[in-house]
Amino acid sequence: MSRSPARTLPALFALLALAACDPVRNDAIASLGPEAPGVRRGPLHRPGQPCLLCHDGAIGDPQRFTIAGTVFETLGDKVAAVGVDVILVDSKTSITLRTNAAGNFYTTASQYDPSFPIQVSIQGGAGEVVRMQTLVEGNGTVEPNGACASCHFDPPGQNSPGHVCMALDDGGTPP
Amino acid sequence: MIARTLLLIAGLVAIAGCSAPPSDARYTQPALPDAATFRPVAQLLDVSCGSLDCHGTVARNLRLYGSAGLRWSSTDRPFVPLCDTTAEVDQDYESVVGLEPAAMSAVVSSGGANPDELTMVRKARGVESHKGGQIWTQGDDSDTCLVAWLSGHANSEACASGIASVLLGASTNPLLQCLAQP
Repeated sequence: MSRSPARTLPALFALLALAACDPVRNDAIASLGPEAPGVRRGPLHRPGQPCLLCHDGAIGDPQRFTIAGTVFETLGDKVAAVGVDVILVDSKTSITLRTNAAGNFYTTASQYDPSFPIQVSIQGGAGEVVRMQTLVEGNGTVEPNGACASCHFDPPGQNSPGHVCMALDDGGTPP
Repeated sequence: MIARTLLLIAGLVAIAGCSAPPSDARYTQPALPDAATFRPVAQLLDVSCGSLDCHGTVARNLRLYGSAGLRWSSTDRPFVPLCDTTAEVDQDYESVVGLEPAAMSAVVSSGGANPDELTMVRKARGVESHKGGQIWTQGDDSDTCLVAWLSGHANSEACASGIASVLLGASTNPLLQCLAQP
């Protein structure tokens, strides 16, 4: 028995509408605010924000990132760490991503599909290395945790080490 | 007739309502694991399970506080101070024993005979679905750390080995300094 398109299409639209209705995620996205003045949507936009909230591959959303984030120079400022290498290692493979002019880095599933947990380290131009003391497990509560900023948000506090950075304000190495 | 029946039903409902346990009633666990020897277990749970994207978040069951994740004090932040505080160890103990109070009592009172009655044991071993996947293997140092503590024979050496096995850069990781804390 063939189904009538007239009946199937509304059902599909209803399913799509339901899939789009995630108030927690929608609130999280709304809380990020608008684009910064003068910055177009693209590789340089929204440094320090949890990229995978929008870059989740859902219909109508921008392309899916598997790992994405921003590196800043120090904990106390928002100066982008440009051209540093972010090295991701999991049980199957590894990849090195380089930060752009906004400090942003990102990778798509076709470039790197991580097998969580992953180990993350950052290497600066002078050879200095910052390594996360814990593994990234990939168990985000709102979005998949390939977004560094889902845990590394400001201000630093009891549930966040603060944004990803190359050095503490006193010159020390971030934990 | 109907009015009398309804009145009778309403009366029965009212009596049933009054006979419910008081709202502040609590289940008293007849057997609890030893809080005094919990610190090494808490340290293991902190580094194995308590990162900010796992159980170190207020959004999940088995909420864990510790150096490598969520801090108990509002003035602390991850890795500052470096080691788990006493308050964090105490909170972790409450999380662990309060997760499945009846099952925990059964396991402890049996001397740890069937630790896999506890969901946290099964999930860590990977024998039950767990979003974080398998954390350790039955019989390895980390599993021994938890199970030995549940049995009343805490094994801090197994805990230390389990912790060292999951710390990155094991020989130089600053968290190793915390293992010596009483």
